[in-house]
Amino acid sequence: MKNSKKYLLVSLIALGVMSCSNDDIPVANNITLEFNNTFEDNTIVLGDATSSEATVNTSDAGQVHHFSELKYVISNIRLIKEDGTEIPYNVNDLDKGATVVDQSKEATLQYVLSDIPSDEYVQVKFGLGVKTELNTLDEVSFPNFYAAAGENDTEMMWEWGTGYRFTKIEGFYDTDNKELSIHTGSTIDEDPDDATGESFVQGVDAYRDITLNLPTNAIVGSSAPKITIKADFDYLLSGRSNTITLTSGTSGTDNATPNIHTAVEMVKFVDNIGGNGDTDITGMFSITAVEN
Amino acid sequence: MKNLISTVAIVLLLASCSNDDNFELIPFDNPEVSLNIPSGFPELNSAVYTNTPTQYGVELGEKLFFDKRLSTDNTISCSTCHIQKNAFSDHNKKAIGIENRIGLRNVPPIQNMAFMQFYNWDGSKLKLEDQPLVPIITHEEMDSSILEVIGKIEDDDDYIELFYKAFGDEDITPDRIYNSIAQYEYTLISSNSKYDKVKREEGETFTEEEAQGYTVFQEKCISCHSTELFTDQSFRNIGFPLNTDTNEAGRARVTGISEDYMSFRVPSLRNIEYTAPYGSFGQFATLKDLLDYLSNGVLEADNLDPFLKENDNRIPLTEEEKSYLISFMKTLSDEEFIGQ
Repeated sequence: MKNSKKYLLVSLIALGVMSCSNDDIPVANNITLEFNNTFEDNTIVLGDATSSEATVNTSDAGQVHHFSELKYVISNIRLIKEDGTEIPYNVNDLDKGATVVDQSKEATLQYVLSDIPSDEYVQVKFGLGVKTELNTLDEVSFPNFYAAAGENDTEMMWEWGTGYRFTKIEGFYDTDNKELSIHTGSTIDEDPDDATGESFVQGVDAYRDITLNLPTNAIVGSSAPKITIKADFDYLLSGRSNTITLTSGTSGTDNATPNIHTAVEMVKFVDNIGGNGDTDITGMFSITAVEN
Repeated sequence: MKNLISTVAIVLLLASCSNDDNFELIPFDNPEVSLNIPSGFPELNSAVYTNTPTQYGVELGEKLFFDKRLSTDNTISCSTCHIQKNAFSDHNKKAIGIENRIGLRNVPPIQNMAFMQFYNWDGSKLKLEDQPLVPIITHEEMDSSILEVIGKIEDDDDYIELFYKAFGDEDITPDRIYNSIAQYEYTLISSNSKYDKVKREEGETFTEEEAQGYTVFQEKCISCHSTELFTDQSFRNIGFPLNTDTNEAGRARVTGISEDYMSFRVPSLRNIEYTAPYGSFGQFATLKDLLDYLSNGVLEADNLDPFLKENDNRIPLTEEEKSYLISFMKTLSDEEFIGQ
C-alpha cells in the first residue's frame, strides 16, 4: 500500500516535470513582494528605549516615537489581471499563503509568490491580518504559520481571542520614552444558532483588506517581477481615520501601553494602518516600485 | 444499519494496517448521557445539542480535565485551578499557571455550564467547545499547544481506547479533545443545595435567618442575580475596585463598545460559600467584605449600572441584613456537587 503510493507520487512528479519541460521560456513564475517598513520615506531602524540609531518619528499630535519591535501578518493575497480576473494565492492556506513580516528579520521582508500564471497584473490585493474564517489557531491544518506566528520570539497569538495577533508593535514615545505596545487582532465571534434561534455576533473584526494599484504592470512569465510595498507606520498615529494622541495609564481611553487595550481603542489603530474598509482601502500601504 | 457499515469500514481499515496495530476491536455501546435538567433552569446553550454528552465522551473529557500533560511542563491540569471542593474554582485571587505565573483574573467556577450563553468574565466565548484551547496555549496558564498535547497522549493506550469508544475511531484530533472536555463539563450540574430542596419541598425549610436573607435578596439582589442560576448572564459595571493590569478592560476588550468598559458577567451565586475570594480578580476575601463595599459605596463610572446610579452608587444594607444575606447565600451550597 505504502509502496504503491510512493510509485504514484513519483510518477506524478515525473509527469509534472515533463509537462513543464515543454515550456519554451524556462522562467520561475514568481512574484516577490518586498515590504519596506517606514516612517514616511525613512526605512525604520528598530531600537531600544535609549537607542541612538532607531528611526524617530513625530506624530501629527506632536509625539516623538520609535519602535523596538514591528510585526504584522499578511494573508489572502490576490493578483488582478488587466481584465479584472483575480488570481488568488493560497488564500485558504495560511501555511502557503500567509506570512509574518518582522522588521528584525530581513528574510521576512521579502515574500515570494510561486507558480503564478504567466500574465500581466495591474493590481495586488492582500489582507492585513487573517480573515475570520481562518482565524482559529488551527495548529493541525497550518502548523508552519502557527509556528511562525507563535514562536516565543514572536508571541503573536492572542490567546484570549483564540485568534492570531495581526500586528504587534512595541516601542517608546514622548521624550521620556514611555512604553508603547500596540497589538491588534479580531475578537469577533458568532453563535450561528443561539437559544433564540437567531444568530448572535459579538466583537470586532480587525482584518483589513488592502487594494493597491500597480504603477506599472507586473509581467509574469518573461520575468519574475518584484513589487515593493511601502508600509508607512507614520499612519499608525497620524492616519486618514484618526489622529491619535498616546496616553499611558489604566483608564478605558489610555491607549499606549500593553496590551490589548479595549477593542474600542484598538480599532482606531487598525483603521489607520489597514484602512476603514470603506473609503480607505489602502491604509498605510502603497506601491513604490514594480521591477520586471 | 449506519453503525454496522461504519463498523465494517473501521474493521477493514484496521485490517489493512493490521501489522502495526494490535488494538483489539471490541463492540461497545456509547449511550448518550441524559443530563438531569433541574426544573426552572434556563435554556440549554444550543451547542449542547450538537455536542451531546455520551458515556465515553464524558469519561474521556474527565480524564483530559485531570491530565497534567495538557501543560507544557506537565505540572498542572484543568483540575489544578478548577478544584471540585471549591465548586471547580480555587482560592487564589488570580489564576496561577505553570511556574507560578499569575493570570489576569479570578478562576471562575465550573458549574451549570450547559445553561450558560456566555463563558468567562468577559463573555469572550459563546460555546464551551471554544474554551479548552485558551488555557492550553495561554502563557500564564498551561503555555502549551494542541499539537504538543496530542503528541504526549497519542501513544497512551488508555486514550487510544477512549477516543475509539467515544468517537468511533482512534483519531486524536483537537476538536475531539475540546468536545470531550466540554461534554464532561456539561455534566457538572449543581442543583442539590438546601435552597433547591426547600424549593422542591423535599422536607427542608429555611431557618429564620435564611428566610430573612431570602427576603432581602429578593429586594436588593435579584434584579441581577436572577433565575435559578442566580445570574441574569448580563454584563455590568458595578464599580468594584479596578484591576490595574493594562490587559483588563472587562467586556469592552471583546466587544469594542465603550459602554462595556470594565463590565463583567454577573456571577452565579450557587456554591458561593466555596469560591472565595470574590470579584473578577479576587478583590474581596469574604462575602462580608463584598457586602460592606456595596453598602458603603462603589466607584463612580460613566457606565455604572443604573441600579447603583439611581441609589447613590450603593446598595445600602444594615449589618443585620448582611448577616441574613450571607446565611441565605450559604443555602446555595451543594455539598453533593463539591463531593462532600
